[in-house]
Amino acid sequence: MELAHEHNGMAGAHGVTHEHAGDHAHPKARTLPASIAAPAVVAAWRTRMLLVAAVASVLSLLFLFVHGGRGHMLRAYLLGYVMTFSFAGGSLALLMLQYVSGGKWGLLLRRPLEAMARTLPGVFVLFVPIAIFQKKLYLWANYPTNAAARDAVKHFAISEEQALTTNAKRAMLNNAAFWWHAIVVFLILGLIAHLLRTWSVQRDADPAAGSQSSFDRWQKRFENLSGPGILIYVSLMTILVIEWVMSLDVTWYSSVWGLQFLVGQGYLVLATSILTVILLSKTEPMRTILRTTEQHDLGKFLFAFVMLNIYLNFAEYLIIWSGNVPDEIPWYQNRTLGGWWVIALLDFIFHWVIPFTLLLSRDLKRNKRKMIILTCFMIFARAFDLFWLIEPNFGDAARNLHLGGNIGILAYFTVPVAVVAAWTAYYLTNLMSRPLVNTNDPHLAEILEPEHAH
Amino acid sequence: MPPQEGVYGLLAEFNTPSELVYATQQARAAGFRRMECYTPYPVEEAAEALHFHKTRVPMVCLLGGLMGLTTAFLMETWVSYWAYPINVAGRPLESWPAFIIPAYEWTILFSGLSAAFGMFALNGLPQLYHPVFNAPNFRNGATTDKFFLCLEAHDPMFSRGGTRDFLNRFSPVSVVEVDH
Repeated sequence: MELAHEHNGMAGAHGVTHEHAGDHAHPKARTLPASIAAPAVVAAWRTRMLLVAAVASVLSLLFLFVHGGRGHMLRAYLLGYVMTFSFAGGSLALLMLQYVSGGKWGLLLRRPLEAMARTLPGVFVLFVPIAIFQKKLYLWANYPTNAAARDAVKHFAISEEQALTTNAKRAMLNNAAFWWHAIVVFLILGLIAHLLRTWSVQRDADPAAGSQSSFDRWQKRFENLSGPGILIYVSLMTILVIEWVMSLDVTWYSSVWGLQFLVGQGYLVLATSILTVILLSKTEPMRTILRTTEQHDLGKFLFAFVMLNIYLNFAEYLIIWSGNVPDEIPWYQNRTLGGWWVIALLDFIFHWVIPFTLLLSRDLKRNKRKMIILTCFMIFARAFDLFWLIEPNFGDAARNLHLGGNIGILAYFTVPVAVVAAWTAYYLTNLMSRPLVNTNDPHLAEILEPEHAH
Repeated sequence: MPPQEGVYGLLAEFNTPSELVYATQQARAAGFRRMECYTPYPVEEAAEALHFHKTRVPMVCLLGGLMGLTTAFLMETWVSYWAYPINVAGRPLESWPAFIIPAYEWTILFSGLSAAFGMFALNGLPQLYHPVFNAPNFRNGATTDKFFLCLEAHDPMFSRGGTRDFLNRFSPVSVVEVDH
């Protein structure tokens, strides 16, 4: 409704403005700034991120000498790694989504999304330590044969059910598959990201740029890859997050797992890209490009992800709670009993209550400073949710959240910060490499129109 | 209540929305608050110029939603705990996870209804009589191709002569005095 109104009003008002009324009611259409390259401040942000990564890495190394520190460093690294994959993979999904859906929001976020998607090779490098140390993280990796699992039951190292499920799922969960699944998926996603980027560069350099035929040709080409690409991404990403996170508890399964991560990635990536464009809007060219109207629309979009995210998480909980079967319930018990209810409650508040209640406000969505704070908080909330998903899978932590004699758990503060900060530096490097605005796009003219609502 | 008499306000007619918006902005800058724009289709700029977005509808909507949430939750608690306590597969009677979905739906229902009816109420609808329809040019133009700004007489800034002069500065098609 509201959008339709705005457009009605806009078309009518502007059509008439230029014919009759002169310039007294509206400013003229804005012009694109002379330089549309990324501002110099991005390099300063990158330096800052590298410093943060260095400091957090040094602090993380201290956990090598703490009791239980190494195990927690690896788990915390997994959290940081899943965050970086969520940035890179989620941005690829949103990039394809904006190509198939069109709209001004896509033009605004395209460069940040491209820059994030382009970090996929780096994210694969970050995967290598996890694959190398998989036996330390995954029970099924630690007992690579059926005989080994049965033997472990005899020595009471694992439960009967853990052995049975490990052996039943071995077709998917085994040491070699853990490697080659990731390699194949990263190759396919990398190819899609590479094609989208190459075409984007060619699109900017198109000699016929600005003509309708050029718009149509490129639009069609991007759509033809992005449509199937989204389907491919969702299927492949589901495999990876099942192996990386869900299989930490080999006995448990949830059919909504992949979708939940997909929406979580949308939540994270949208918050990050909105944060990026708002921070960039302090300087040209984003100051001209980002209008309050579009910032408001992006805020509404973010709100939709906040809702969808809690919807899926709660639906999963409700279904498992209603089913009340011993296969599934312990997963939630591990995360709510023995002190974990505090984390579960905070997760709900951080992940949903705070963004939901704040994003209801129209003024907040139109306010740059408040949106910066909120999007930063949402990135943290996503990491906090991953902590709740990851840590209780391990025997020493399940139903027993404790700090005494378990100082290593503090690695969750430093290691993910180091990984994400290093990734952010990479992302910002990519962001600097291209102009911040795609000029060969029909939406550019719309964005340069004067803002119709003051 | 006795019928109101005298001047309701001064109605300026414009040919374009831009002129209307400009006049509205200037009127607000000059200190007028009791005013209204009438356009044949929604003009977002006019709403902005009137600072129209600051209404109490969001608050009514929020209160409605909270009311729906509490009502549904309390009703379900009452039904399952006191009125018809049934043992469902050994679950506790106060099974809050199962209450969430109806409570959520009542939140949406109540907030939607209170937004719609709250909007009607705050607009003063249903209203069978409005003085601006006394102006013949309004009756003919307001739903077709004319844009009107009405500065109302109960604004402290209002004066018959001064306000007419003020409106004439924006070269309207006409300025009509509207009676109650």
